[in-house]
Amino acid sequence: MRIPILKLHNYLLISIQTEIDDQTAIKFQEDLLAKIHKTGATGVVIDLTSVDIIDSFIAKVLGDVVSMSDLMGARVVLTGIQPAVAMTLIDLGIHLQNVPTALDLEQGLVKLHQELGG
Amino acid sequence: MNPRSCVNIHKEWDIVGARQLGREMAKEIGFGTVDQARIATAVSELARNIYLYAENGQICFEYIYTNSQKGILMTAVDTGPGIKDISSVMQDGYTTSGGLGAGLPGVKRLMDDFDIESTVGEGTKIKAIKWIR
Amino acid sequence: MDENLKELIINNSDSIVDNWMDEVGRIKAGNYTASISDELYENTNREFVNVIFTSIQNEGSSKVVEEFSEKIINLGWPLSYITDGLQIFRRVTIDFLLAQADQVDSNHFSNVLTSVDEWIEPLIRQLVNEYSGSWENILSLQRVALQELSAPLIPVMERITVMPLIGTIDTDRAKLIMENLLEGTIKHNSEVVLIDITGVPVVDTMVAHHIIQAAEAVRLIGSTCILVGIRPEIAQTIVNIGIDLSKFPTRSTLEKGFTKALEITEREVVDLHVKNQGIEDIMHSLKGE
Repeated sequence: MRIPILKLHNYLLISIQTEIDDQTAIKFQEDLLAKIHKTGATGVVIDLTSVDIIDSFIAKVLGDVVSMSDLMGARVVLTGIQPAVAMTLIDLGIHLQNVPTALDLEQGLVKLHQELGG
Repeated sequence: MNPRSCVNIHKEWDIVGARQLGREMAKEIGFGTVDQARIATAVSELARNIYLYAENGQICFEYIYTNSQKGILMTAVDTGPGIKDISSVMQDGYTTSGGLGAGLPGVKRLMDDFDIESTVGEGTKIKAIKWIR
Repeated sequence: MDENLKELIINNSDSIVDNWMDEVGRIKAGNYTASISDELYENTNREFVNVIFTSIQNEGSSKVVEEFSEKIINLGWPLSYITDGLQIFRRVTIDFLLAQADQVDSNHFSNVLTSVDEWIEPLIRQLVNEYSGSWENILSLQRVALQELSAPLIPVMERITVMPLIGTIDTDRAKLIMENLLEGTIKHNSEVVLIDITGVPVVDTMVAHHIIQAAEAVRLIGSTCILVGIRPEIAQTIVNIGIDLSKFPTRSTLEKGFTKALEITEREVVDLHVKNQGIEDIMHSLKGE
């Protein structure tokens, strides 16, 4: 199973709709980095509205993908993390300290726009 | 009244299967969405531990009732290498797999009661209970 | 149950009641019921002893007992009134029965004790149950009321929400606060949430920990949390016990926090000139007169 990555001008948009298993997560990480490399995108929004569980492994993959994209010059914003998911992450002791967040896709785009000074 | 459902953990996809069952059963007995997520996440962590370190194991769920409370009990059993030093794996940030090291202490925080037994060379048994608030 | 003894009591109810009334009347002074008027006290006593006798006669008529306990509970009389009353009844009755007998051997003695206990026990059980039932009821109502008060979330302006916290925060409440906070943030689409701790009496490591976790969860869902209402003594304790709040914006008052919230959402409050103009006009016209 592959997670589709959409391109919109300089941005890449991803909406994760499925239950993510470890393979899908790792595949997604590779796909996204390849896509950033190919398109030269400067901003990425990953929308997690439909994701109802993030365990420590998925959290690690997401955190890593943010750092890796940063290295490649693309700023990533995570959007739509559900309250239940946020509370679970806090209980797990995962704070994703350096990961920018926004309430929804729209505000994620606004945030990217502001940060990239576009 | 009190069925016990189990999932065997051999493949990576079994992690997903286990947490789906855990969530389903938590929902059935009346947990709210937040606690469902907590339980499903805890299952995911335990199942991943089995998959990563023991390769073979099983996670079982059952409902438990006391006079004043009801809840769900999950038992994760494996026949893997066992854990040498339990107190170190219960520390935040301890990891041998390159993960976030949130695994077992995280599960303990997600659940209400947590109990671990392990014998080197024989395997590990973890019991965790979540009560309905 | 010994029918002879029962008959003996029923037939001599007047003298037992008199003795009982005497004794119960005497404990009134040293009791919580001291403030109750003598008339009401005596009437209630009489009703009480009637209930006891009815119950003995019918061998546990729960209906009368229920009505009586309901009345006492509504009057707000303490449970000890009931237990004292029944203790006294037991003593008075035993005294009476033993005094009636020509000779008291151990058989008769134990017979009397057992019979009286058999009459009194179900009464005590039922009355205490009624009482504790009413307490449990009150307790659960209060728990619900408390939960409703526990973590209100107020949308004050588009994209800005306030959660005022009052009272002690324990683990259960912290969970509730976190849930309301996050659900509300999503529901009102708030970019900024102000947590006002003016009403939290003590901020120790535990409370601070809960608040920090709530603030971090708010950040995860994509909003910003501002902690306001930090009084000087709270600022002191927070620093003294080494809690790091530097990751979140904090302000001393809700007012200042709100200004910061406006700044984050890129808005500001503008005085409407018209109003001042109006006052100036008035002043001017006054001078002119």
